[in-house]
Amino acid sequence: MTAAPLVRVENLSRTFDVSKPWLNRMTEGLPRRLLVAAENVTFSIDRRETFALVGESGSGKSTVARMTVGLIAPTGGDVVIDGVSMTDRRQAAEQRRLRRRIQMVFQDPYASLNPRWRALDIVAEPIRAFHLADTRAETAAKVGEALTLVGLDPADGGKYPHEFSGGQRQRIAIARALASRPEFIVCDEPTSALDVSVQAQTLNLMRDLQDQFGLAYLFISHNLAVVRHMASRIGVMYLGRLVEIAAAKALFYAPQHPYTRMLLDAVPDLTPSGRQRRPVEGEVPNPVDPPPGCAFHPRCRYATARCRAELPQLIHTPAGAVACHAVAEGRI
Amino acid sequence: MNAPVLSVRDLKVEFPTRRGTLTAVDGVSFDIMPGEVLGVVGESGAGKSLTGTAIIGLIEPPGRIAGGELRLAGARIDHLSHQAMRRIRGKRIGMVFQDPLTSLNPLYRIGDQLIETITAHVSLSGAAARRRALALLSEVGIPAPETRIHNYPYQFSGGMRQRVVLALALAAEPELIIADEPTTALDVSVQAQIIALLRKLCRQRGAAVMLITHDMGVIAETADRVAVMYAGRIVEIGPLHDVIKSPLHPYTKGLVGSIPTLDFDNDRLVQIPGAMPRLTAIPGGCPFHPRCAAVFARCVVERPELKPEGRSRVACWLYHDAPAEAVQ
Amino acid sequence: MHEPLASAERLSARLRRWWDSDIAWSYRHSPVAIAASAVALILVLAAVFAPWVAPHNPFDASTLNLMEGFSPPGEPSPVTGRVFLFGTDNQGRDVASAILYGSRVSLTVGFASVAFSVALGVMLGLVSGYLGGRLDGLIMRIADIQLSFPAILIALLVFGVARGLIEPAYHEQAAIGVLIVAIGLSHWAQYARTVRGSTLVERNKDYVLAARVMGRSSFAIMRQHVLPNVIGPVLVIATINLALAIIEEATLSFLGVGVPPTQPSLGTLIRVGQQFLFSGEWWILFYPALALILLALSINLIGDWLRDALNPKLR
Repeated sequence: MTAAPLVRVENLSRTFDVSKPWLNRMTEGLPRRLLVAAENVTFSIDRRETFALVGESGSGKSTVARMTVGLIAPTGGDVVIDGVSMTDRRQAAEQRRLRRRIQMVFQDPYASLNPRWRALDIVAEPIRAFHLADTRAETAAKVGEALTLVGLDPADGGKYPHEFSGGQRQRIAIARALASRPEFIVCDEPTSALDVSVQAQTLNLMRDLQDQFGLAYLFISHNLAVVRHMASRIGVMYLGRLVEIAAAKALFYAPQHPYTRMLLDAVPDLTPSGRQRRPVEGEVPNPVDPPPGCAFHPRCRYATARCRAELPQLIHTPAGAVACHAVAEGRI
Repeated sequence: MNAPVLSVRDLKVEFPTRRGTLTAVDGVSFDIMPGEVLGVVGESGAGKSLTGTAIIGLIEPPGRIAGGELRLAGARIDHLSHQAMRRIRGKRIGMVFQDPLTSLNPLYRIGDQLIETITAHVSLSGAAARRRALALLSEVGIPAPETRIHNYPYQFSGGMRQRVVLALALAAEPELIIADEPTTALDVSVQAQIIALLRKLCRQRGAAVMLITHDMGVIAETADRVAVMYAGRIVEIGPLHDVIKSPLHPYTKGLVGSIPTLDFDNDRLVQIPGAMPRLTAIPGGCPFHPRCAAVFARCVVERPELKPEGRSRVACWLYHDAPAEAVQ
Repeated sequence: MHEPLASAERLSARLRRWWDSDIAWSYRHSPVAIAASAVALILVLAAVFAPWVAPHNPFDASTLNLMEGFSPPGEPSPVTGRVFLFGTDNQGRDVASAILYGSRVSLTVGFASVAFSVALGVMLGLVSGYLGGRLDGLIMRIADIQLSFPAILIALLVFGVARGLIEPAYHEQAAIGVLIVAIGLSHWAQYARTVRGSTLVERNKDYVLAARVMGRSSFAIMRQHVLPNVIGPVLVIATINLALAIIEEATLSFLGVGVPPTQPSLGTLIRVGQQFLFSGEWWILFYPALALILLALSINLIGDWLRDALNPKLR
């Protein structure tokens, strides 16, 4: 792919100050507490590509998604979309123009639509906000188009969100995301709150739309099986850091990082295929108090003294990139 | 032959509303044998959680059990008073709910909650109850139970809390455990651990488990038999591998097919058109008929009953469309 | 195009949906709500149309006849023989007409002061909850201070300050306005607190985030997205506060610091009537007080019904 990537995330970091109030700290002699939600995350997304970020709670994937879209300001690093830096204040005008081309779909179909707005107003909001239509009739026509695209009846536009099912609400959210004809959509666990059969419909729909409109997706999920159906490249995050990036097939056939292997093992097997499953150990530690060195070492069977002291860097391998001493040393 | 621990016959749960009476569970029947894990799977609105709630007698008014029989080890429990039901709950039926945050009282140490549960149902001295609590905690895999028994729930992670909830459920050595979405709120890697733990502990004690979930993957790892629910009814029930590998009911086929897997064989997920009907608009005849690809005339008018087919039972006219069915 | 027909159909469909809604059903099945709103409606309409409904304008000196004073209700006046429904007061004013005209003032001050405090409180609550930070702290501390004073005291304070600031010549004209501001200022903190709490919850919801992703301004989001979702409890509080505001105005007028004597309200009438209670002319106090009670009670009952109707847990 010789064309420049649409989205470039470079060393993106975000730290939250979760210290107790100043008064408490003074009187109780407590130190400042910082929560590193994401640190030095780097990846890129090409046009028409789906890049997935996978991880469990505390991995920082949602924080990265929100920084990419501009909801949270990063404390370090940058997000560059089509050449425009999202953090550079001098580019404010270009950033505003860029907003039309970026949209987001959220996880909870019950909270992502304003319960007091009708469906057509919800879908029309980006059209009105970006002045994409001149008359009411034009707006209505575009809204109708968007609703039809996601498989809903434009005549239902007058209904309120509570009159739709969860799957239908998510379709309205997708229609809203499409209304401004964006090029890049960030999807934060878009099907996690849906029933399995509805999830299937929604995922198929998202793929069809991607083919039709040439969309790039940043797809956040904790479900590896779902990601398998959607993504061409996958990044695995653990406690705020990227531990592995690889093409989908490579990741699933030959996972490198021990955490990736563990995640794959944890995916339940519907038909006992005789896959060798190792028992999973431990839990994700508290992000405020991460283990020193490689954050995964308490749960890793390949951990050595070096892992407990030194943070592994992302190294490039033929399959992709991994941050693991054991892989770097050729032990696994 | 063993008698079933739990026997449900024709359970009906109704909600009177100003728009009429809604039937959320419509004639559900099944048995659970001692030591068996029955998975009850269905999507939201299928009535599976309500079935579990009805069994333990916690349906909130105006909802009510409008018909059917519930038998625990042969004795009826659906008509018991509140007091009697309270004695059964906890002692003979243990419960594990979805959200470990709200299952534990945040204001009490987990040791106190455990000991309180134990002494409420088993007559043990304080010290003996404490020893029992420590043993339970170590059985469910809490490290250093002597120190952690003094902790409050907020000092535990999600997975640890759910282990404590498991310990609470098993404290009085119940015959039956009802687990309603026990792993849904947990991380993927922790889910596998909790499921394995649940299976192991119940096997050891010979307790039966009714595992209610929408996650077929969890069922596939744990259950011996599976009941698939749709619109308040069981549409298929049978041994785990039969139902998953060769599903009979079109809904089960669609359900299993729409689950994303790690294999690269299927690129496009199977999808069932439409959605589960709302309680106010359940279609007549077979409730699945508007979404069914194999629908024919009889499906629209007559409701199929659960009838045996191989080692399973299925409620579908595709299998029982003989006009003169012998009445049992 | 079929626009007019379509919109008429849409309107009737919407009306039908509203009629079927939970709130309308709850109203139709609550005898208290129906009775209370009927009473309130009658009183309000009578007050609005007072110039046409009242037998005469009791505050127009030219229509008064001192000889008709102290005429008992329902009985002909000893001098002129006219019958007054509720009797007359010491100056020959027909008490019934006085109540109608007095209600006008009471209701005007009541509605206007509630509107003022709602507008102020909701706006400050929204800004406080959505923008947070030091602005939030400042607004909430002021609200705390205001809530620790009794409402009457604050109203008296504002009144006194205004009196000092405005030239005596304009006192009478400005009195109603000052009264509205005074009562309004004594109640805004409740709304601000409630709205701030709801705003804190709503601003983290995904639909607000979606609007932020679109680049909508904070004010647009507050006005279009958050406001409709936090306004519910405000309606209930406002309805109950309306009754309180009317009584507060009556209290202030009773104390002599409210409306000027040229525009008496129900409170003024009660003050006047109080003087004659024990000398036998009970009707001068009784009927205005009854009117005030009916008005406040019916509004209060409507507020009660509204609170229960809007409470999802009770449905």
